[in-house]
Amino acid sequence: MCAYGQAGCPLPTLADLFERVMQQSSRMHGISSDLQSQPDHYLFPSRNMLRKWKCHTHNILTPGDKQNAKSLDREQLTEVIVRLLGAWGDPLSQLHQSMRQDQNRNKNRERFSHFSSNKVLEMSDVMQELRDGVLKMAEKMKLQGVLSNAVVPVQPERALHSSTFAFYKRGGLRSLDRNDLLYCLRRDSDKVKNYLRILQCTTLPGLDC
Amino acid sequence: MRNVLELTWLLLLVVTSHAKGLSPPGKPTLTSCRSPEKETFTCWWQPGSDGGLPTTYALYYGKESSDFVYECPDYFTGGENSCFFNKNNTSIWVNYNITVVATNRLGSNFSDPVDVDVVYIVQPNPPENVSLSIMEDKGWPFLRVTWAPPRKADTRSGWITLIYELRIRSEGENEWETHVAGQQKLFNIFSLRSGGLNLVQVRCKPDHGFWSEWSSTSQIRFPDYFHREKSAWIVITAVCALIFLIITWLLHMNSRSLKHCLLPPVPGPKIKGFDQQLLKKGKSEDIFSALAMSEFPPMSSSSNRDDLLVEYLEVHIPEELEAMLEASKDLDSADGGFKSESSTSDSDSGRGSCDSRTLLMEKCGRPKEHEDSTGEAEPEDWEVARVDAGGRTWPSVFTGPSHLLRPSEGQVCKQIKARSDVNISAPGHKQSPARWSVEYVGVQTVVEDDVVLLQPWSGRDGCPPPPTFHERDYSQVKRVGSDDTLLLLQKLPAGTADGREGRSCDTSQKSATCMHSTAPMSGYIDTAAVFPMATY
Repeated sequence: MCAYGQAGCPLPTLADLFERVMQQSSRMHGISSDLQSQPDHYLFPSRNMLRKWKCHTHNILTPGDKQNAKSLDREQLTEVIVRLLGAWGDPLSQLHQSMRQDQNRNKNRERFSHFSSNKVLEMSDVMQELRDGVLKMAEKMKLQGVLSNAVVPVQPERALHSSTFAFYKRGGLRSLDRNDLLYCLRRDSDKVKNYLRILQCTTLPGLDC
Repeated sequence: MRNVLELTWLLLLVVTSHAKGLSPPGKPTLTSCRSPEKETFTCWWQPGSDGGLPTTYALYYGKESSDFVYECPDYFTGGENSCFFNKNNTSIWVNYNITVVATNRLGSNFSDPVDVDVVYIVQPNPPENVSLSIMEDKGWPFLRVTWAPPRKADTRSGWITLIYELRIRSEGENEWETHVAGQQKLFNIFSLRSGGLNLVQVRCKPDHGFWSEWSSTSQIRFPDYFHREKSAWIVITAVCALIFLIITWLLHMNSRSLKHCLLPPVPGPKIKGFDQQLLKKGKSEDIFSALAMSEFPPMSSSSNRDDLLVEYLEVHIPEELEAMLEASKDLDSADGGFKSESSTSDSDSGRGSCDSRTLLMEKCGRPKEHEDSTGEAEPEDWEVARVDAGGRTWPSVFTGPSHLLRPSEGQVCKQIKARSDVNISAPGHKQSPARWSVEYVGVQTVVEDDVVLLQPWSGRDGCPPPPTFHERDYSQVKRVGSDDTLLLLQKLPAGTADGREGRSCDTSQKSATCMHSTAPMSGYIDTAAVFPMATY
């Protein structure tokens, strides 16, 4: 997509950008569902640790219901989206590295096959692309006056999650940690997809949401 | 004292409960939790045994990463054994840890805790306002189905994204035809079946959740679109008729060749020689044509060129039989055609000179027992056919090759003079009478008033005609006899002596090299055209 107005390349409209972003977020969510080793059971057997269990992105305030989500304006919503997407860059790469190390060690107990490590890498790339796309879309919205000139963070918040992967460690690299990480990943991708949908339906007038 | 009273009371309770079988309640189980719009949700549980005592149930939940435990705010809205979480108490993307506890007088029992994230338990209500309408697209009808999302699901703000699915079936069918409509609220069905009542249902599902129930059935009756099918039949019928016409025309054009292929014509019998029956009964035109073209049988008008392709059959009639047949009819018939003498002569026209049993074969190796007083010399090997003026019969013409025959021939056939009253038998005929060959003679000259000299042609039996005798079968009739007789004149070409070298063939002659299809030479005319014959 040539959003920079290169010669001979038609500029995409905002609707086109949104469409592309939505496709990307659907893809992202699909990968996260694949990575989830457990099926989509809504009733997880309770684990005592889950009560104290948090995602590493818990400090990013995200609207948890419709009223809160609607109360946010577009700039804030966009910011939340970008932050969420940026927060997963490092953890995914670290997860990928740790999985490859396990493969190299050729552990038989390794639950994640080669297939999963590639999926993690793919997920990382998709999220990065999506983040870039959302930023471009925000610029477009700014140009069209839809978005105010609020500052949207460009740099991913690396300082906050320097050792993100360690966040999930509970005294060792166990499969349970990875499950928690993947669970958080799936949830955050769902949040991003939902926020983008809200942004799309409230920004584009002619869309039949 | 009070303690003693309490202890006694407890003992009594235990004793009575044991006596009646009462027990603490059984373990309840959480069966399901559902959210219709991702804003509220309800959980249901299944109670265990109540232990015979009134049991109360309580639901407790805790939110993720919080140590607080809350009790269910609403036990009634969701029905019995349910807990309803309203909007204020519902948080999305948060893990709920829910437990149900059953309590009765004797004790309580906790269910197994479950974790619930509301975003994964969304099951919307069925779509609403399903409407059907029949529309036309360029003359072709189709069904348009439209619907609205369930009332509570907020899709307009994008909070929920629903995908839809519809199904349709005819009234008499059992199988549904399912179509996926995606996120749109409109769907066109083009695979209509004409006539009948059709039922349509729609359902929906969020991105990650459960399918709703099918909506209530909407009905619509399709009109009969027979005319659309009829036009197709008309086209098919027209094409078939055209093909049929083309095939019929082709068959008609090639009918002849087809007929020849399927039903080859049976060759009719072609008899060589002169048809005596024709002389008796035939018409004058036929006789003349027969005389003119003696080689060919009378052609009927129906004959076509195919007859030429058919080989002629040689029909041999035993002479005695024929003679007898002829004799029986000769006495009354008035025609003056050629007749063979019953006893003494035979119509051995076309036969080899050595074949005729009436011949006196001198050089054919037979004794000259019948040399008559005519004293025919050897060189004079004329064959004299006596014409009986008064009679009606002609002696048969004998064939005898003249000296013109090739001397290389082993057999030298001679002309033999024969008389009508001579009964010549040819016992030593080298060929049996049964084997007749067809031969013809040529009339050379008329010796006397009633004597015709015939030049015999040799037949196939070893006496091939001179090669010079190629053409011409026509003879000139000199005059008509007194009594229905014909005198044939054979014109002698110049340079021939005795008229031996006749260059003409008799009308009754046929040889292998004697072609009859050529035009007559000058001086020779078709006998049919010379004089009219008296009608018979």
